Amino acid sequence: MSATDLAPAERLDLGTHGRSLILDGRNIAVRFKVEGGLVEAVRDVSFQLHKGETIALVGESGSGKSVTARTVMRLLTKRATIDPKSKVVLDGTDILRLSEPQMRALRGNKISMIFQEPMSSLNPIYTVGQQIVEILHLHNRISRAEAMRRAEKLLEEVQIPEPAARLKSYPHQLSGGQRQRVMIAMALANRPEILIADEPTTALDVTVQAQILNLLKDLKAKYGMAVILITHDLTIVRQFSDYVYVMQHGEVKEHNQTEALFQSPQHAYTRHLLASEPKGVANPLAAGGQTVLEGKKVRVSFTLKRGGLFKPDFFELVAVDSLDLHLQRHETLGLVGESGSGKTTFGQALIRLIHTQAGEVTFDGQRIDQFTRKQMRPLRRRMQIVFQDPFASLNPRMSIRQIIEEGLIVNHIGRNTRERVERVRQALRDAGMPDTILNRFPHEFSGGQRQRIAIARAIALEPEFILLDEPTSALDLSVQAQIIELLRKLQNEKGLSYLFISHDLKVVRALCHRVMVMQHGKIVEQGPVAEVLNNPQTDYTRRLVRAAFEIAA
Amino acid sequence: MADHTVDSAVPLPPDAAGGALPAGAEDVSSIPPVAQGRLAQRDEGYLRLAWRRFRRSFVGMLGLVLVCALLIMAIFADFFAPMDPKDQTLSFAAPDTILFEQSDGSFSLLPKVYPIVESDKLDPITFQPIDGPDMAHPVDLGFFVKGYSYNIFRVIPWNIHFFGAVSGVPIHFLGTDKLGRDILSRGIIGSRISLTIALVVVFLTTTVGTLVGITSGYLGGRIDTWVQRFVEIVLAFPQLPLYLALTTLIPVTAPSNVFIAFVVAVMAVLGWAQLSREVRSKTMALARIEYVRAAIAVGSGDFRIITRHILPNVLSHIIVAVTLAIPTVVLLESFLGFLGFAVKPPLISWGLMLQDTGTFSVIGSYPWILSPVVFVLITVFAFNALGDGLRDAVDPY
Repeated sequence: MSATDLAPAERLDLGTHGRSLILDGRNIAVRFKVEGGLVEAVRDVSFQLHKGETIALVGESGSGKSVTARTVMRLLTKRATIDPKSKVVLDGTDILRLSEPQMRALRGNKISMIFQEPMSSLNPIYTVGQQIVEILHLHNRISRAEAMRRAEKLLEEVQIPEPAARLKSYPHQLSGGQRQRVMIAMALANRPEILIADEPTTALDVTVQAQILNLLKDLKAKYGMAVILITHDLTIVRQFSDYVYVMQHGEVKEHNQTEALFQSPQHAYTRHLLASEPKGVANPLAAGGQTVLEGKKVRVSFTLKRGGLFKPDFFELVAVDSLDLHLQRHETLGLVGESGSGKTTFGQALIRLIHTQAGEVTFDGQRIDQFTRKQMRPLRRRMQIVFQDPFASLNPRMSIRQIIEEGLIVNHIGRNTRERVERVRQALRDAGMPDTILNRFPHEFSGGQRQRIAIARAIALEPEFILLDEPTSALDLSVQAQIIELLRKLQNEKGLSYLFISHDLKVVRALCHRVMVMQHGKIVEQGPVAEVLNNPQTDYTRRLVRAAFEIAA
Repeated sequence: MADHTVDSAVPLPPDAAGGALPAGAEDVSSIPPVAQGRLAQRDEGYLRLAWRRFRRSFVGMLGLVLVCALLIMAIFADFFAPMDPKDQTLSFAAPDTILFEQSDGSFSLLPKVYPIVESDKLDPITFQPIDGPDMAHPVDLGFFVKGYSYNIFRVIPWNIHFFGAVSGVPIHFLGTDKLGRDILSRGIIGSRISLTIALVVVFLTTTVGTLVGITSGYLGGRIDTWVQRFVEIVLAFPQLPLYLALTTLIPVTAPSNVFIAFVVAVMAVLGWAQLSREVRSKTMALARIEYVRAAIAVGSGDFRIITRHILPNVLSHIIVAVTLAIPTVVLLESFLGFLGFAVKPPLISWGLMLQDTGTFSVIGSYPWILSPVVFVLITVFAFNALGDGLRDAVDPY
């Protein structure tokens, strides 16, 4: 098959297994009306789903995988038009031609869906029990008491502890993982034949992610459901799906049985995707390097109010609990932990973007923890930061040139405008962007391109140290790999030191020399990357490693 | 060092929406932006984006056209007014009859005006002279006719009017008021004072509100607490009694421009608080956003952060607030003017014109003197429509 051929509409494993066809999507095409014309979000996508199996739709953001799933659920916005040639056949009827009431009877009953964001998919003003009961009542004529009993059983099935008590809880009282379990319970309430899981674990911590996926796997086996799993994470695909559809630009580029696809990818894009798992290791470090950044017993706490007007009461939330850290020149130190572990707070406290309550911070031999913002200013050009979200870290009102030039202006670098612009161009080139984009605005660029611009802003000042606060988390996998390459290259060329904050152990393994594992504001384990990841000493690290590399709880 | 970009180990970032396969190096100079179609052709600044979104809203465009028309009308009010607003003719005359008829009843392509005149007959009950259209003497209408003299921008003497009677005979399309002055002309000229008051008040409230809001929101802490308590006090004032009380402080003998300045000051003092709250909350949200932290990290000072990062991003909100605040002030002016607290004669404003409508018998007998309400309505609608359109357009990302 040549790279440009469209994937065949029929499955490659047709007739090789005895499972019966349950959902047959043919030539699905969806167009969106946008300013200045139409965008073809999905083009001629066909897929088949059999009873009791999991198919995965894989692709990067914008590849049309979610749109395909929403077409099956008929949950598209009004701006979307489904091509009349499209067909999605369930039990002999084309559900794209059903009326809205007929479709409502199907949704949540025969087909259900779980969404990515468990925070916003539950209504905060109803208890969990009320929300599950509502779903049960929509499709069944049963009494309230009976519905409650069933709801409790459902919560038990999704392994929520103390299901009877949890029925009376409100969503905010549950953790993210528990909320996603409740969502699954709601999706399963009416024993659907097909479950569509749209990035069900992307918003969750790695360890929770593994638990949720395993739960889904167990439930699928128990009820013989067919699952459409939408994800960008190839490890998940490999572990949990039977058949894979690879999508790009709204088209299916390749599909095959999971093992076969991973063994011998045919299409160039699939090969590219598979190759973009972060790999390599950091270049070895010269011994006895000079210390750039050092923290001793750094403590950050926030005072929170508790109690009422007449009984004031405060308690201290310790985000960073007397931690030590030292970073050598040319070194990359990974700071790893789940959300809420205090890793970002620690990192920002070290470069004095957050106030410390106690401890010493030394930068290049100079003690900086008592410096005011004004005293810090001469040091700012030597320490830089790259944020996680490249959409929030670039001011939408400023052109690329203004964004990068700002640091040069305030630090009086460059004698005149021409010199400064030359430095801006150089920084862009170093970050792997063309230097012709000076007058463009951030919204014209994709996430990965924006992250490069953010990196260019940091390196334009020629710093010695950069704090990388999850710089790859918001990016697609293949873009992630490129950013890692870029960071590694810049470190070699410019002799930078990095403090790399991440929850993604794969990226950490590819980029860091040493790693520190944080939990609840404390460091639970630290050491060279290979040692910590291959031979974790504490339970927590072991869990993290297993979750990241095997997706096992 | 400049030429390592293409052949480096780093391929160019693949583009979510662009076409090319990410494998291999692309031509560096032609990195495609994400946006496609028209978006891709030019570097698009904020204004262009906002304008394109704004253009899509019919109501917003209608508002924009009306607002422009109103402003032009106010600036060249003398040119558009067919009559001298101070000229007195027949008191409480009804609007003139306009017919496409010659005086002999035959059809005329151009409309003719039959001015209202008093006849010799008296009403048998009230003993008032009966008036009605003078069917014997039609008046020709025309554009760019000679009329009363005025000065454009107070300097250039001129006497051409946009439209009016060719012969210069008094005509009243909307009738006349108690003193026999042309309501249409007074409405057009009154737009000057009404809109000026609105614009000046809104300019003052916006400046003060923005300054207070940004300072309070950006500095935070104790300053913010105290400023906000003060804002709460201002907001808690019962506004209407205060307006009335404050305006009665002005000596009756004060010249009318002093009087207006005072009214404007009172409205501004009581009006800035709401906007300052909105700006403060926006500022607080923006001060925590990552590009502001990034600016701190490159060493920018507070002033730079406020002027380069925060102000441009709250500006869109402020512009919308301004367009929506103008109709409120226009309404307030007409209301206070009606009560006789805003503008004093001989100045003309819509509120003042409505003062004559205070009694039921007058409205019953001469309903046309309510027509300044139409001016207020159009103004309020125009600015509201513009504000609504802007609100959707100012956040194009």
